[in-house]
Amino acid sequence: MKPLKSFLFFPLCLVFGLGQAIAAPSASEILAASDAIRNPGQPFSMTVTLTEFQAGKQIDTSTLTSYSRTQQQGGQFSSLIRFVLPTRDAGKLMLKNGNDMWFYDPTNKASVRLSPQQRLLGQASNGDVATVNLARDYKPTLAGEEEVQDGERRIRKAYKLALTAVSPDVTYATIDLWVDAENNRPIKGRFYAESSRLLKTVYYRKYQPQLGVDRPTESVIIDGLNPQSVTLMRFTDYAARNIPDTWMQRDFLPRFQPD
Amino acid sequence: MQLLKNSNIYACLAASALLTLPAQAQEDALNLESAPVTAAESPSNTKWSIEGAVANASQRYTTDSIDSSRVSLDVLYSGRIGTGLRAVLSNRLDVIRATGTEADTQRNSLREAYLSWQPGGGDTVIDLGRINQRNGPGYGYNPTDFFRDGSLRVITSADPFALRQNRMGSVMLRAQQLWNGGSLSVAYSPKLADKPSTETWDLDLGSTNNRDRAVITLGTQFSQSINSQVLLYQESGLKPTLGVNMTALLSDAAVAHLEWTTGSEPALVTRVFGGTPSEVTRNRFVGGVTYTTLGKTSFTLEYQYNGFALDSAGRGALGTAQQLGYLRESLRLQELAPRQAYLLYVTQKGLWLKDLDLTGYVRFNGDDDSRLTWLELRHHWRNFDLTLQLQHNTGSAGSEFGILPDRRVVQALGTYYF
Repeated sequence: MKPLKSFLFFPLCLVFGLGQAIAAPSASEILAASDAIRNPGQPFSMTVTLTEFQAGKQIDTSTLTSYSRTQQQGGQFSSLIRFVLPTRDAGKLMLKNGNDMWFYDPTNKASVRLSPQQRLLGQASNGDVATVNLARDYKPTLAGEEEVQDGERRIRKAYKLALTAVSPDVTYATIDLWVDAENNRPIKGRFYAESSRLLKTVYYRKYQPQLGVDRPTESVIIDGLNPQSVTLMRFTDYAARNIPDTWMQRDFLPRFQPD
Repeated sequence: MQLLKNSNIYACLAASALLTLPAQAQEDALNLESAPVTAAESPSNTKWSIEGAVANASQRYTTDSIDSSRVSLDVLYSGRIGTGLRAVLSNRLDVIRATGTEADTQRNSLREAYLSWQPGGGDTVIDLGRINQRNGPGYGYNPTDFFRDGSLRVITSADPFALRQNRMGSVMLRAQQLWNGGSLSVAYSPKLADKPSTETWDLDLGSTNNRDRAVITLGTQFSQSINSQVLLYQESGLKPTLGVNMTALLSDAAVAHLEWTTGSEPALVTRVFGGTPSEVTRNRFVGGVTYTTLGKTSFTLEYQYNGFALDSAGRGALGTAQQLGYLRESLRLQELAPRQAYLLYVTQKGLWLKDLDLTGYVRFNGDDDSRLTWLELRHHWRNFDLTLQLQHNTGSAGSEFGILPDRRVVQALGTYYF
C-alpha cells in the first residue's frame, strides 16, 4: 500500500505544484504585464484632458499632447508634453527623460531645468502615474491577494504589489499597486514619497481598446495631502507614431514641430 | 462625569470621522466625470495676447512722481508650411505714454521671422531669418547668451524672464545636427546695419546685426544629472571667446547651474563711452542653486561676476550723469554693470489661492551694497491674468540702485490671451 501512496502522492504534488506555479505568476511578471497594458510597446502620442476638482467642484481644465517612447539606450521611458490649452500655456513644452527634466517656453526661448520636486508642482507630473514604466525602476514583491473596489465600483480580486525604487532618481520612493488577478489590468495605486508620505492615490478606469489592447482611458488622481483635490486625466487619440530618441533632449525643444 | 463621558464620545466620533474622511473622499472622487473632450481643443499655431498696464514711479530727485500707461499687442505663430518646412513669426507692438512726454512712444519689435527646414528624420535643422538664439541657464545674467546685447527695444518690466520674452533675435543662418544625447550647431549672423533705430516700424537691424558674428555650440548630456554646452563665439575685430554652461541635478529638490566665459574685448566702460578700444582679457561667471520645497516654493540663489565691469572705485570716479549713462547702457547691452552681484529669486505657486502666484527677487550689488527689490502677484483666470508689480530701488547716494531716478515703481497689468 505504501508504494502505491507514494506512487500517487508525487504526481499529485507535481500537478498541484505546477498548477500553483501557473496560477501565481511572479510579482515581476505581474508588474511587466500591467505596464504593458498602460503603455503601448511602440512610440505613441495621445491627447490628455485634465479636469481638476476641489471638494467635488470643477475648478480647471487643461489639455496636453503627450509623445512617449522607451529609449533605445537604457530602456528609459521618456515623454515630451506639449501644452495645448489654456491659451496662455499653448506651445509650452515639458520634457521628462528620467531625471533630465526641462520646461521650455517658445515665447522667450528659455529652457529651464527642473528638479523632480519642481516638476511635481505642475499638472504634467500627474502623467507620470499614468504612463511611467514601473518595471524598470522598481523592485516588486507580492504583498498578497485582496478584493478591492475598482474605479467603476466593482469588486475585483487583485494582486497587491509593493514596489520599492531600485534607483534614487525616481519621483516616488515606494508604490502600492493593485493589479487585477484575472487580466493584469492595473486597478489602483498609492504613490509615496521617501518620507512615506502619501502623495497620490490613483484609480485606472474606463478600459477601452487602444492600439490593439484594452487600456485605461481615464485616471482618477486623488491628492495624498488634500483628498478633496482630485484630478481626472482622460486619454484619447492614442496613435502609434515615429518618435526618434533625439527628441528627448533639451536641444531638441526649440526644434519641436507639432503636427 | 457625564460631561467627561460626552467629551470622550465626541473625541471618538471626531477620530472616526478623520479616519473615514479619506475613504469618503475617494468614494466622492470616483463619482466625478471628466470635462468633455471637444474637437476645438486641437493645437493652434497662433497665440495672441494683449496687455494693458498703468504705472506710477516715485522719483528720487523730484517730489513729483511719473505716471505712465502702456498697451502691448503680442503674436506668436509657428506652423508647418510644407514637408519638413516650418515658419516662425513672433512680433510685439508697445505703445507707451508717460507724464511729461508730448507724444506716445511706439515701438514694434519683430522678435523672430524665420524659416526652419528639417529634411528627412528631423535630426538636421537649417534655419534662416531673424532668430532668437538664447543660451544659458542663469536667472539674472547670462554670459553665454552671446546675442543678448541691444536686443530690447522697450523695457517694460524689471523681471529678467519678461525681458527675455520681449527681446529681438538676430538675423542669422543656423545649422544644427542632433544625435542621441547631444547636438552641434553653427550660427552666422552678418552685419546688416550700423546704428540702432528708434523708428516705430523699423526692423532695428542696427541693434541686432551691427557686426559680423558667429557661434559654434556643442551640447552634451553627460548623464541624467549633468548637461552642458560648450560655445565658441567670434565677432569681427575680436579674438574668439570660449564659454561653458552647465546644469546639474543635486538632489530630488535641487538643481545647480553655472555659466562661464573667458575672452578679450574692450572694458564695459569703453563700450559705453567710447575711447581707445584696448582689449583686456577677463572672465564672466554665473553660478546658482534652485531649491524647491514641497510647499510649492522655489528659491534660487545666484552669484554673478563680470570682469569687464567697473569696480566700485571706478564707478565712484564717474559723475552722476555718467554713472546713469553707464547703468542705462549696461541695461541695453544686457550686461552686469557692477563687478559682482547676488540674486535671490523666489516663486510661490498657489499663494493663498490656487491660481495666485507670487514671484519676487532681490538683487544685491556686491560692490556697493545697494539693492533692487521686485515683487509680483499674478492671478490667473482661464484666458486672463491680473498682475500687480512693486519695485523698490535702495542704496546710498551714488550706489547702483541708490542713484536711479525711480525710487519706487508700482505697476498694475491686465493680460488677455486669445
